[in-house]
Amino acid sequence: MTLSLNSFLLISGLLFAIGFFGVLLRRNVLVIFMSLEMMLNAAILALVAFSRFNGIMDGNIFVFFIITVAAAEIAVGLAIIVALFRKRQSVMVEQLSSLKN
Amino acid sequence: MNLDALMVFIMITPLFSAGIIALFLRDKGTVASWLSVAASGVILALSILLLLNAPEKPYSSSIEWFAVGELTISLGFLLNEHTHLLLFVVSFVGFWIHLFSIGYMDDDKAKARFFGGLSIFMFSMLGIVLADNLAMIFIFWELVGFSSYMLIAHYCDTDEAAAASKKAFIVNRVGDLGFLIGIVWCFWKFGTLDLSQIDLAVQLDPSLAVTGLGLLLICGFLGKSAQFPLHVWLPDAMAGPTPISALIHAATMVAAGIFLLVRIDVLLTPFVLEWIAWTGAGMAFIAGFVALGQNDIKKILAYSTLSQLGYMAAAVGIGLPGLGLFHLTTHAFFKALLFLCSGSIIHACHHEQDIFKMGGLFKRMPITSIAFLAGMVALMGANYTAGYWSKEAIMTAAFALDGPIFWFLIGGAVMTALYMGRLFFIAFLGKPRSPGVEHCKESGPIMLLPLLVLGVLALVGGFYTYWPEILSQSFISEANEVYHGEEFHHAHETLKVWGTVAWISGLIIAFAIYGLGTKGDRVANKIPPLYALFRRRLFIDDVYDFYVAKIQQRFVDILGFLDLFLISGVMVRGSAGIAGLVGVFSRSLHVGSVHAYVYWFLLGIVLFWAFAMGWF
Repeated sequence: MTLSLNSFLLISGLLFAIGFFGVLLRRNVLVIFMSLEMMLNAAILALVAFSRFNGIMDGNIFVFFIITVAAAEIAVGLAIIVALFRKRQSVMVEQLSSLKN
Repeated sequence: MNLDALMVFIMITPLFSAGIIALFLRDKGTVASWLSVAASGVILALSILLLLNAPEKPYSSSIEWFAVGELTISLGFLLNEHTHLLLFVVSFVGFWIHLFSIGYMDDDKAKARFFGGLSIFMFSMLGIVLADNLAMIFIFWELVGFSSYMLIAHYCDTDEAAAASKKAFIVNRVGDLGFLIGIVWCFWKFGTLDLSQIDLAVQLDPSLAVTGLGLLLICGFLGKSAQFPLHVWLPDAMAGPTPISALIHAATMVAAGIFLLVRIDVLLTPFVLEWIAWTGAGMAFIAGFVALGQNDIKKILAYSTLSQLGYMAAAVGIGLPGLGLFHLTTHAFFKALLFLCSGSIIHACHHEQDIFKMGGLFKRMPITSIAFLAGMVALMGANYTAGYWSKEAIMTAAFALDGPIFWFLIGGAVMTALYMGRLFFIAFLGKPRSPGVEHCKESGPIMLLPLLVLGVLALVGGFYTYWPEILSQSFISEANEVYHGEEFHHAHETLKVWGTVAWISGLIIAFAIYGLGTKGDRVANKIPPLYALFRRRLFIDDVYDFYVAKIQQRFVDILGFLDLFLISGVMVRGSAGIAGLVGVFSRSLHVGSVHAYVYWFLLGIVLFWAFAMGWF
């Protein structure tokens, strides 16, 4: 059985939606961060699918860049979260509102 | 002998004295007073040294101070025959007045401020005398205005002095505005402010001197020399200490206006000269009447100064500026003397200035009285005194050159004898009319010495042919022409008689009206409306008061409303309000919750997307 492009796009859209709502609704920074990564991977999936569908390598090459950037982002982001936890003993977003006051 | 260095020293000495007093000697009045006197002594010595070494030809030198585009402002000295005379008058009369001040101000609480002010005045005045360009003259012109303001306000805890100093300052600003515009015009027209270059340019092309320019430039003269219509500040300025009245408001600063006219003589067209002559002659005549209505000894002398400045202006106006300088010099001697005498009296009588409360001073203060008499005869132009030679020369020239002017001037001479006779008969003769005056004593030697020196000069200072040539060269040819020339022969013969008749008749009228001292003013008792007219200074001050209070104030109110409503209300507060509202709105977006920012982010994406799709 071969999977059509639509199936890939559907999966990609679902992943993106899950990630997006995760960012919107979850309170734990770590989970929000994971959701962000999920959105990124949804985009990667879509790119690979289109690349395969069109038979050109542009999308695949673009994916490598995204993976590189995502790795760098994770390194920075996790470091920030660790530093945040050390300072506040908490990673809950509603407690991170000192800019407001 | 380095002339530049000498002139710089002359200028720096009083500045140095003023600086030391202001910085270190504020509460050491006695030290300050001697420092200031020493400075004026040094000025006198250096000035004499300079005059002994003065070159034959006009000498000028300058350095560039700063340049803006084409405009170059330089600092420099111009030494010519006018400078010689004025330098001598300022330093000589200034020195004796400084010395007198030590005696006069001995019980004053703010001595240091007073003597510091005197020094800064000497600096500014010497600056005007020595300056070689109009910009520099203007700077020092303002500085003398400032020192005059500061010294009039010496008794600043009295309302009178505070108001008088403000009046003097503001009235002078009115004149100086015209002067400044004139200077700008001058630069626009000649491309330079240097007096010698302007002189040269006008000699090459007389059409460069235009009437409007001359009229603007003489605004400075009208203000500083207190001529109509800007004369109102001088009588009020008598609220200052008496040595100030003698130095600034009689001998030197008010005469600076005349000096300015002489400096810019080439720029004055016949129309402007006629204007000056009429202003001066009118003032010479009218001021005498107003003096008749004053009871304050210093105010009488102030109006006398106005009248004598009128003579000088008339001399410039009829085309003989040298005679104006001659009269300026003799006037500096005898009017400074008269003021110092009145200072001696006021000091002895515990600051009593009303002549109707004096009386019998001759017996109580004989030396002061004799000195006053010397000044008075010189002022009246009694034959062969200092005032006679200078005033007679002006009147002779006016008789020959401009008939109508002459009638005003000779009328002024009668009035001079009349009001001085009134002052003398009432204050010096008869019996004392107040207890303070009854017990007054003759002043000490430090005050009498200046009186004697100036008194001698007031009597014999007019024999200009015996003056050192360096001093008389600015006017000697004009004076010789008037006294010995063919053209003036008839006028001179006539004036010999008429001049004498004028002052004697003035004295006789004064004697007929006021006798040997009376209790009240007889004119006031017999013809009250006339006296009121004199006493209220011909209502000119009232006209100004009306203008300021009723017309100008309305206009100011309108401007004030516009300022408050349009500029402050709408423009300043309005734009601040809009910025504030934007701030309030954008601040409300920052709720402090990370989730909210995600929504804003989403909203932004949607907007960008919509924009990219071309939906709006």
